[in-house]
Amino acid sequence: MADIKPFFLWKHLNKLRWLILSLVFLMLIYLPFAHVYQTFVASFSYDLLDSSEKALYDLMETLTSPFINDAATDLDAIKGSTWSGNFFGYKISDPLAVLAQMAAGLTIYWPFFLSGLIPIILTVIFGRFFCGWICPATFLYELNTILSLQLQHLGIKVGRKHFDRKLKYWVLAIGIAISASSGSVLISMIYPPAIIGREIYFGIALGGFGAGLVFFVLTLLFDLFVSRRGFCRYVCPGGALYSLLGRYRIFRIKRIVENCNDCAKCNAVCEFGLDPLRDDFGQECNNCTACIAICPTDALTFNIKISDDENQGPGHLGKAFSKRDS
Amino acid sequence: MQRRDFLKDLIAGAVATTVLNSTVVEAAFSAQSGQRYLRPPGALPEDEFESRCIRCGQCGEVCPNRCIEYFDLENGAKSLNTPYITPRTKACILCMKCGQVCPTGAIKPLERTAEDILGYVRMGKARVEKALCLSYQGKTCGVCYRACPLADTAIKVQLLEQPVVLEACVGCGLCERSCIQLPQAIKIIPDHIRQTA
Repeated sequence: MADIKPFFLWKHLNKLRWLILSLVFLMLIYLPFAHVYQTFVASFSYDLLDSSEKALYDLMETLTSPFINDAATDLDAIKGSTWSGNFFGYKISDPLAVLAQMAAGLTIYWPFFLSGLIPIILTVIFGRFFCGWICPATFLYELNTILSLQLQHLGIKVGRKHFDRKLKYWVLAIGIAISASSGSVLISMIYPPAIIGREIYFGIALGGFGAGLVFFVLTLLFDLFVSRRGFCRYVCPGGALYSLLGRYRIFRIKRIVENCNDCAKCNAVCEFGLDPLRDDFGQECNNCTACIAICPTDALTFNIKISDDENQGPGHLGKAFSKRDS
Repeated sequence: MQRRDFLKDLIAGAVATTVLNSTVVEAAFSAQSGQRYLRPPGALPEDEFESRCIRCGQCGEVCPNRCIEYFDLENGAKSLNTPYITPRTKACILCMKCGQVCPTGAIKPLERTAEDILGYVRMGKARVEKALCLSYQGKTCGVCYRACPLADTAIKVQLLEQPVVLEACVGCGLCERSCIQLPQAIKIIPDHIRQTA
């Protein structure tokens, strides 16, 4: 049989994904410091700063001076978080922010709607990619998963419960309904990436975390002791919206049944508890490529198609086939 | 507002048994602290502002004066993480950057011109407490007048530098911030308080 090999770069996408996740997270830490530095510059107050503030000023000046002329205005080029941000004059917003704002205001403010358009189009093409590739909460949640594996290794009991994945669609619907009835974008209270973006800013630039951090720590504990990656799988309203938008995504992962040896490592590594081994990715898959990276026999690749394959049965390198072959 | 009321009834009817009941939502989310605060310059009227603001925090992140702070739960869950300014702590310098960065138009995008500021900024209006004001007690002061970015348009002084607030005052709060009396003799009364009172 002809060898069907996946494109060799797919296997390394997982590393690229971790790089992007780290960069987004570092960016969210860098921006508040940049803002504080900007206010120092704008007020010409260097000689009034205390030693730690002077150290921050010097550090930020060293970091940014090669790229800008005037910190007070030029550093405005990048502002905000993944919830909603300014990127060199372009405003980009989370589709959930757009939906919740439309519900709360009962109107459509077109400039804001347009700022959510690019993420919406990308989600329709790539599915729930935001959850795996960009979300600053994912960065912490995946580290949390690694921690849970370490704890398990030490003999501490961690949670592995399963719930119904449809739960998060209800959270989305009820969250939107509450936003509409209260006339306030309350869904941002329970949406981790929005919380992370705000709380990092509050913690660094305003000198104290808020109530959002308590909620986020609770979700971390939930993931640790109740259900692995449970919040993203079962509760997150943003994840629900992305899953719906990405239901007919055209860029999806596919199992090459000829290469598969049924080792089930893909199922074990999948953060969202999906079933690549039986070709069941569904609308929840975020194209994180962790399964492609771990597959020992190169049996997973990308495919351009708007639906998953039917269950192709056991892999041809597995026991069921090798018995018949030999 | 009628559409919202209709929607409330709709939801309350559909999910009558649980938390979704709109009266419960109202009771839980509309607690007010009674705190005197201003919204950023160019912000929409209070109700509309709360429904427009998505709590992205960018207004505070561009504020060169760091006068924009954020509510935690003290002003009710409806105001959670929305921006506010306490003029006595730090007042607005009317740079208008927050409106330009706001993605939803909760703070209107305005230029830093007299027309835009006088035409669209409605943070509140200054009020002089004559019993506390040094100038009205015969000790010439005039600090509030000097601090006003719209001097002679928003505030004028009479004999002995006695301040008189004019209709054009936009409520930036620089007069309150600069007042040398304790407690301050000039205060910004926010628009959302003036309307409900």
